[in-house]
Amino acid sequence: MMNFTLPYSLSMPMVMLLGAVVILSVCSAFAVKYRNLGLVGAVVAILLGFGGVTLDNPNLVYYTGFVLVISLVNLASLRALKSAIQGVDYGLVGLMALVTLYIFTTQDLAMILAAFVLVSVPTYILVMAREGGANVEVGIKYITFMVLATILFLIGAVILAYTKNAFNGLLYILGYVMLVLGLSIEVGVAPLHEWVPDVFASADPIPLSIIASLAKIVPFVIALKILLATASELTISITLFTAVLAAISMFTGNIGALTSKEPGRILAYSTVANMGYVLACVVVIVKPQYFYFALTGALLMLFANAAGKIGFFNAIKNKGAFSPLMYLLAFSFIGLPPLMGFWGKLFILFTLVKAEYVWLVALMVINSAISVPYYLRLARELGVGWKPDLVNYICLVAVIIILITFLPDWFFRGVEVIAQSVGGIVI
Amino acid sequence: MNEWLVFLLLFLAPVLSSVPIALAYKSKEWTAKLPYLSVFGIFISVLMSLYILFTFPEQQYSYPWIPEVGINIVFITDYLSRNMGVITAVIAFFIGIYGLDYMKGDYRPSWYWFFFNLFTASMLLVVYSDNLFLLFVGWEGLGAASWGLIGHWFRDDNDIAYVGKEGRSVGPLRLYWPPSFGGWRAISTIRFGDVPMFFAIAAIWALSPTLNISEIEWGSLFTTLGAAGTIILFLCLLMGLFTKSAQVPFSEWLMTAMTGPTTVSALLHSATMVAAGAFVFIKLTWYIEPWHLAETMHGAGLEGLEYVYIVVLFIGLISGLYGALAGSGMLERKVLLAASTMSSIGLMFAATAASFWVGHFAVLVGFWYMAVHAFAKASLFLVSGHLIHATHSRFLNGGREFAKKMLPACIVTIIATTFLVGIPLLTSYWVKSAMDEVMEHLVHDFGYLPLVLLVLTSVVYAGIMAKFLALNFIKGEKPHHEHTEGGTLMKVGYALMVSVLFLLLYLIFTLEETHEFVAAGAFFKQGMITVSFAVGILALLAYLVALYRPRISFLSGLGTFFGDRMYLPFLNDYIVPKIGFALAGVVQNYGNTGIDGFFNTKVIPGFFGNVSRRIRSIQTGYLSRYVSIVLGVVMLILILISLVSLKGVVL
Repeated sequence: MMNFTLPYSLSMPMVMLLGAVVILSVCSAFAVKYRNLGLVGAVVAILLGFGGVTLDNPNLVYYTGFVLVISLVNLASLRALKSAIQGVDYGLVGLMALVTLYIFTTQDLAMILAAFVLVSVPTYILVMAREGGANVEVGIKYITFMVLATILFLIGAVILAYTKNAFNGLLYILGYVMLVLGLSIEVGVAPLHEWVPDVFASADPIPLSIIASLAKIVPFVIALKILLATASELTISITLFTAVLAAISMFTGNIGALTSKEPGRILAYSTVANMGYVLACVVVIVKPQYFYFALTGALLMLFANAAGKIGFFNAIKNKGAFSPLMYLLAFSFIGLPPLMGFWGKLFILFTLVKAEYVWLVALMVINSAISVPYYLRLARELGVGWKPDLVNYICLVAVIIILITFLPDWFFRGVEVIAQSVGGIVI
Repeated sequence: MNEWLVFLLLFLAPVLSSVPIALAYKSKEWTAKLPYLSVFGIFISVLMSLYILFTFPEQQYSYPWIPEVGINIVFITDYLSRNMGVITAVIAFFIGIYGLDYMKGDYRPSWYWFFFNLFTASMLLVVYSDNLFLLFVGWEGLGAASWGLIGHWFRDDNDIAYVGKEGRSVGPLRLYWPPSFGGWRAISTIRFGDVPMFFAIAAIWALSPTLNISEIEWGSLFTTLGAAGTIILFLCLLMGLFTKSAQVPFSEWLMTAMTGPTTVSALLHSATMVAAGAFVFIKLTWYIEPWHLAETMHGAGLEGLEYVYIVVLFIGLISGLYGALAGSGMLERKVLLAASTMSSIGLMFAATAASFWVGHFAVLVGFWYMAVHAFAKASLFLVSGHLIHATHSRFLNGGREFAKKMLPACIVTIIATTFLVGIPLLTSYWVKSAMDEVMEHLVHDFGYLPLVLLVLTSVVYAGIMAKFLALNFIKGEKPHHEHTEGGTLMKVGYALMVSVLFLLLYLIFTLEETHEFVAAGAFFKQGMITVSFAVGILALLAYLVALYRPRISFLSGLGTFFGDRMYLPFLNDYIVPKIGFALAGVVQNYGNTGIDGFFNTKVIPGFFGNVSRRIRSIQTGYLSRYVSIVLGVVMLILILISLVSLKGVVL
């Protein structure tokens, strides 16, 4: 690979990242006045980022490809939102996308933690965006929780990193628990999910589609990386805590959605449940040799969740989208083969079996069954005829995303290689 | 000619020759012409069966079907099959000829001829089949054809097709049945018996390496099953045979099967289908050879078999008596004949069952009685059909004047009845004598009971046959309509049919295996009158008495009781349905509703609804509350975890 070296031993990917960030910042700054410039800047930045990462590690293309498509769709959906920050919102999404793209390229703890913050903070602003005036009430609720989450996560991560060098059982346990709790509050895992239904019901659907999709990926990747790197002999005992938390979240989300009436709330509880599924992957740490299963499952689940949420939230904004697309997204969430949602759940179930958490497998399967009524109800409510507008095309892209893993072997092989590269972290 | 070609023609000729008329059901022009093709198809079967009778050796012919499970297409041309095959085909042919005239102008000729020929093919399959499963296929075909044909006049639009007196009812039960119901009664009763039979066949398949009747090791099978097993297996199998052959208590369907066209009654319900049950029993007994087993086998299995044969013996005898008595109270032509048919078949079962104690001879007696009865009864049915057409009534009526106009019918009736009841020297006398002798031999095991029942049955039977003759041609009331012209083919049909009785008489005297029949019919033995001759004389007397006084008014109450079939219809139409409906009611109102309520409407949805609402009630909207919840949970978990780790449970 051509490696253009500079005096400061900066590699090509780093150069491209730098370039992307610069372009993004400049364009966003000017976007206050020239709105489309913000869009252009974001797109260019994301493409540069994509190029940089893929040049550095071609195996990551399976991952970066999905992230690219998802972020571009998110940018497209922002075009329909005439908010106070229009123009700059592209930049915010661009920043989140860049971070998500680059997360696999670094082993540095500081960078990783910075990534967590960089993905989280733009969402504080995005959640308040709506037509006419900022939605401050939602913002306050959301930011309160997110700050809690960030604090717990960062402290937990740092404590864990510390115990890697100087092991202390109590500290390890505390660090682990704080990390997981922080993650839970961040993504919306029950019983710490209280912000999710309110925010998802009150905020504008379009920024929600971004928060519910793009913003969920990095926290999980980071958590997996850190937990894997800092595993100790106490991991086996404390993993039960994660498993129980995941189970509680699955049930709370699915049962809560059964009688919810507003589409936004249904999607909120759906998020709670899906985050429970992904959290269950974390138990793989007890059997690190199967990490690639977990990573595949988590990523597939997160991508399927992202595509689905984008589709549904945009449909809510548009008061309906093409009915078959809605049903396909619903089927993906339910876990019907050969859609992506099915493969995600399947790999997560594989992981749980390998990690010998068979009871969690049973609960997860039961939960898939419980989730069927409300997804179908949602699809039926949001399904209308075809109109060739932006939202319908966005939903079409979302459906294409979930259809792409018809047979996920190629993705699985790619992630296997990626997983091998996820190793230790450097403090 | 190649054997398999013969068999192919034998079974397929009737079916294929009916396909055109079935397909042309819309065209009146074609459906008037094509019945001739169907009858021709049956004629081919006649030729094939005769060819088999005269040229094929007595052996088994096997063609692979599902060899892995031991189910193959296996035919056998032994004594029983080859003769019964000819009987079936010939009777079907004669009735087919008759039917060309009888069914002219009727509606749904395609339906009729298709099922008529399907029936013939199925019956031939039952007769020639050696493999029990293949036999069952034919068996089911009989049932389907029976339903189709009995319910032929399904529109219930003409009283002449009904059974029973209009408006007559006893208690809650209406004793007046339309054709559609007749068809249903037939198939439901037969089905009821077929299911246990199927299980019995399955059990035999599971326990025996082969399903071919001639090859099954019956002795070892019974030993494996033990007494209880043998009894259960056979009773299940017998359910199929008894329901098909309309034995007590399953005889009701046969009575109301008279709602079908007379050709159907003649073919199915006198000569072949109802005889199928008896035929299968004869065939099984032929190969089981219980008389041998009684000598060579010891142990529980044999006891079980003995009980089974006792059951068959007495059910046969009781059905015989019941049928004859019921016939004595009948006022409808065909129902009288139907009751007498059921009676005769009972005697066939009884005679064959007696072989357990008497030996192979009894089986032969049963079979020959079947043959004689088939031709005689079929002729009588055909005559009835012609009479029904001529008088537009299904009830017994017609006097001497009428007899003169319907002379062929009258003559055939005289011949058929006298040759059937056992009047000395006439065909069935020799067979019935052999039967008397068989029952005599049972004295050691059962006393005189079987013989008494047989004699009683014979006497009443003779009476009812005479009643049939008298009330139709001598002493009956004058018919309201008389339409006696035409019907040439009908006359040809029953004339041909009755002439076979002469042939049978000839065969009894010339064939080797029937020498004993002749010996049994001897008038005197050691200077004393033989039992057989005495019975023959009694039958003759009963016949003459009934001829002179067919209706005895002071016995009319008893007659009505017999005519109502001793209230047996209550079992079929009232008791069993009530049980069924009660069961269905319980399942629906408690079972289904319960399951539905639990899973679909009340319990589980209610549970989920409740939990769901509780979860959603956390969302009060107040940030302060949320924060307290979250901080509280976080703190609680951290403290608990710390305590647990400090306590050293984890460390």
